[in-house]
Amino acid sequence: MISIKINRFNKQQAIFGILFMMPWFIGFIIFGLYPMIMSIYYSLCRYDVLRIPQFIGFGNYEKLIFEDSYFWTSISNTLIYTVLRVPLCIIGSLLLAVLVNNAIKGVKVFRTIYFIPSIVTGVVLSVVWLWMFNPQFGLINSFLAYMGIPGPLWLLDPNWSKPSMVLMSVWSIGGGRMLVFLAALQGIPKHLYEAVDIDGGGWWAKFRNVTIPMLSPVIFLWSVLEIIFSLQVFVEAYIMTQGGPLNSTMFYNLYLYNKAFNDFEMGYASALAWLLLIISLIITVIQFRLSKKWVHYDGGLK
Amino acid sequence: MKQIIKIVLSLAALIAMGLFLFMPDSKPPADGKIRLKYWMVSAMKELPFHVTEFNRTHQNIIVESTPLPWNEHEKKILTSILSENPPDVVFLVTPVAKWATRLALTPLDDLIKRDSFDSSIFFSALWDEMKFKDHIYALPLYSNSYAFFYNKRLFREAGLDPEKPPRTWNKVLEYSSKLIKKDSKGNFTQMGFIPTYGNIQTSVIMAWELGAQMLSNDGAKVSLTNKPTLDAFNWIVNFYNQYNLKDISTFVAGFGFAEQHGFISEKLGMMILDNSFPDQIKLYNKNLDYGVADIPAFEGHPPVSSTGSWWLAIPRGARNTEAAWEFMKFAVQKNIQLTEAERQKELLFPANKLAANDPAFLSLNPSNRIFVDLLEHSKTPTIVSLAHDVFWREYMGAQEKVIHKIQSPYEALKQAEKTIQMVLDETIDYDNYVRSKVQIN
Amino acid sequence: MKTQTGNKIVKSTFIYLLLSVFALFFIIPFLWILSTSLKGDAQIFTIPPQWIPENFHWDNYAKVFDRIPFLLYVKNSVFVSAIIITGTVLSSSIVAYSFACLNWPGRNILFIIVLATMMLPIQVIMIPVFVFFKEIGWLNSFKPLTLPSFLGGSAFNIFLLRQFFLSIPKDLLDSARIDGCSEFRIYWNIVLPNAKPALATVAILTFMFSWNDFLGPLIYLSDQSKGTIALGLGMFVGQYVTEWSLLMAASMLMMLPMLLIFFVFQKYFIQGFIMSGLKD
Repeated sequence: MISIKINRFNKQQAIFGILFMMPWFIGFIIFGLYPMIMSIYYSLCRYDVLRIPQFIGFGNYEKLIFEDSYFWTSISNTLIYTVLRVPLCIIGSLLLAVLVNNAIKGVKVFRTIYFIPSIVTGVVLSVVWLWMFNPQFGLINSFLAYMGIPGPLWLLDPNWSKPSMVLMSVWSIGGGRMLVFLAALQGIPKHLYEAVDIDGGGWWAKFRNVTIPMLSPVIFLWSVLEIIFSLQVFVEAYIMTQGGPLNSTMFYNLYLYNKAFNDFEMGYASALAWLLLIISLIITVIQFRLSKKWVHYDGGLK
Repeated sequence: MKQIIKIVLSLAALIAMGLFLFMPDSKPPADGKIRLKYWMVSAMKELPFHVTEFNRTHQNIIVESTPLPWNEHEKKILTSILSENPPDVVFLVTPVAKWATRLALTPLDDLIKRDSFDSSIFFSALWDEMKFKDHIYALPLYSNSYAFFYNKRLFREAGLDPEKPPRTWNKVLEYSSKLIKKDSKGNFTQMGFIPTYGNIQTSVIMAWELGAQMLSNDGAKVSLTNKPTLDAFNWIVNFYNQYNLKDISTFVAGFGFAEQHGFISEKLGMMILDNSFPDQIKLYNKNLDYGVADIPAFEGHPPVSSTGSWWLAIPRGARNTEAAWEFMKFAVQKNIQLTEAERQKELLFPANKLAANDPAFLSLNPSNRIFVDLLEHSKTPTIVSLAHDVFWREYMGAQEKVIHKIQSPYEALKQAEKTIQMVLDETIDYDNYVRSKVQIN
Repeated sequence: MKTQTGNKIVKSTFIYLLLSVFALFFIIPFLWILSTSLKGDAQIFTIPPQWIPENFHWDNYAKVFDRIPFLLYVKNSVFVSAIIITGTVLSSSIVAYSFACLNWPGRNILFIIVLATMMLPIQVIMIPVFVFFKEIGWLNSFKPLTLPSFLGGSAFNIFLLRQFFLSIPKDLLDSARIDGCSEFRIYWNIVLPNAKPALATVAILTFMFSWNDFLGPLIYLSDQSKGTIALGLGMFVGQYVTEWSLLMAASMLMMLPMLLIFFVFQKYFIQGFIMSGLKD
């Protein structure tokens, strides 16, 4: 009796299940599958949308890899930015999390304060920090001058432009990531620390032998995401530097945007997009390979 | 809390529905009048006279002008053409050829022929730039030419003769060092001349003066590694060797627009500026005591200038071609241009030479004579108009690398030349392909 | 014993010191923005900077409305955000319901595809989608920004809601089914009311995204009258780069709704940030 009813349920569920996931499915066809196929086709063409596409085979890819120095500049800029930003964000927010995990009075207020900048993103963030970084009248150099230190040109100096943007992103996302790590820290069972106490270990032993291994899945997940976010950096450079000085902030996506919507070279930009996808995939695969050596999934924390 | 969320969510939905339903679809009132969409790339704060006067004198057409910010204006116009709802008239300054090759403009040949429109009213240098591949695409409205501005008060303070601006580039170097002032910490508070600050690059002017031909006559070959351009770059290198780059960058970072412009704020003694500056100076620092002269040259070479124009054109797919043409013809007339120059506070220098040569216009500003002469006589060397953006991007990039001592002038220019050539080749190839497939009127 | 309390005091003083230093790092920029937004031109360019302006230039805020059609931009942004939030909440929840509460063949494979689309950089699809919207004549309208949200929202939201729906007891749904409830009624009357915290989180995250979105409006909108607030501010930078007081006033105005929502809905806000990383 019951099993018949479940069968009827199943049939009905299958119909409704497929019906209900249709919005996503249609969206996937229109905004996922179809564009991917067209993007491959465009990447083999010269195409400015205003006129008809001209098929040129792998010409765009050949030009990109062998002749376009901007392509390599933008890749190295993006990678340097990523290498600077990801560890700093992860380590910085992890340390913040450890700090605010102390059960002392008023710590919740500090957590809130640290989190507030996370709501400032994109255009506002860039505009505000453009002013902060002003070499003459900006807050940072005014402060440094007060301390008697001559400040750098920040965004106007090719050597400082990327670190400047990293500093800005740490300000804006540090607090948000801190909360993620904090939640994970609070999920660590107390008895693990007590075990270290019994063994006579200090705070370093606790941090090294309990905290890090227990947090490793979260750290890993966020380093994967953080790398993906870093490779996508766009608005900051678009608003603050337009890629300068000396192309030092010509990031991959800014270059792609310029090619697509300034020069209207849609074919070339499509080729760039595919290479970006391939690069991100390679980096992610490498990370997963390496993760086996240091990420502990047996900690019980999921 | 749950209650609040419920309320907020339903409010959001309600607002969405409400706005969706009551969003004004900006449908014009049905009074039978033609509404002409006019997009202007300019920072003008008031409506230009040619718009208000046209609206006053034409009963059946209303011009609705929209200012476009400089950033992204090209993308906005091209996107509007793609969305098949472009403006009827656009006001632009970048090369006509670049827009024409993308099939973004409507050719005007038939209209010009039909109305026997007289093109000799324009400065010929400006009119020539309205053509691309045997078609005419635009009418020049204002001219844009450059001269040498210098600050007489600062000259006097530095012990220089305020009636004798430097005639040669070596003199510029010499004057420049005399005009420098620093504060107690060694930061610049005043400089004489900065060859990389401003809309036009000093090195380009120098290269032209020395006879550089950057584009071959058939428009297919780019040359940047010629001796004149290299010499110009070497002058720039030489200039920067005398100063600390960081000091100059910090100094320039304090500049901005209007009151904060380097020359207008009297922080800079000499500068190459365009013909909109006499008006800007009047607006933002009317006590500035300045002189205007020909751009300096190298010994034994004649001075040149750069001229260009702000022009009017009809985008492809515009709905009201006839009315647009009517408006364009109206705007470039002598009496309209003249009254406009008299009434308006900024940014106007007639492209109509009858208006520009009129005593009423010349008496508006002592420097007007100089600019008119420049337009009449100086021949502007061709810039690579088909790869215009790439040309400037690469040229500036090369100069930046040279100033930062990353590459030698030859290396930097060679690399720029290669990139520009590649883009130019492709642009021409793509253009030929499209022309072979599609009938272009 | 005494030294131990002494140590404790030293330790907690040290911690408070560290906490305060970081708090300054995070909070001072806000004060600086506020201070700059109330200064006149002359006060901005002073060395050393003034923290409290001599006289408060509240008119800077009025000037923002004067200089750019700020009110119009706000209206456009509210409109776009409201539709995107509605679309995202509705469509991602119904899709999530299908993945979490209904049993159908191929469900797991498709869910993996949903997750995989999260990895797809927007750049790969951006250009063909632009061409697609051009072909159907939607460029320069709000449709390319808003209507896609009705088609599943984003993979992340589906994922987040699915995780939450899984925690709703199965018995509740089954007993409703036995009572003859249709699937839509179960979704609408049982699952949605039980998932309000998750829906609020999705709504807040979506609002944050759409309010700040720059690339979408930048690509699709060309009419000045159709700008959103993020786009308007972005263009304002290019035009009036030295009018810092106005730029900071405009930034303050743009941040205001986010700050308000943050303080009212702090719990969901923070939950959204943590959920986006912790569950798997």
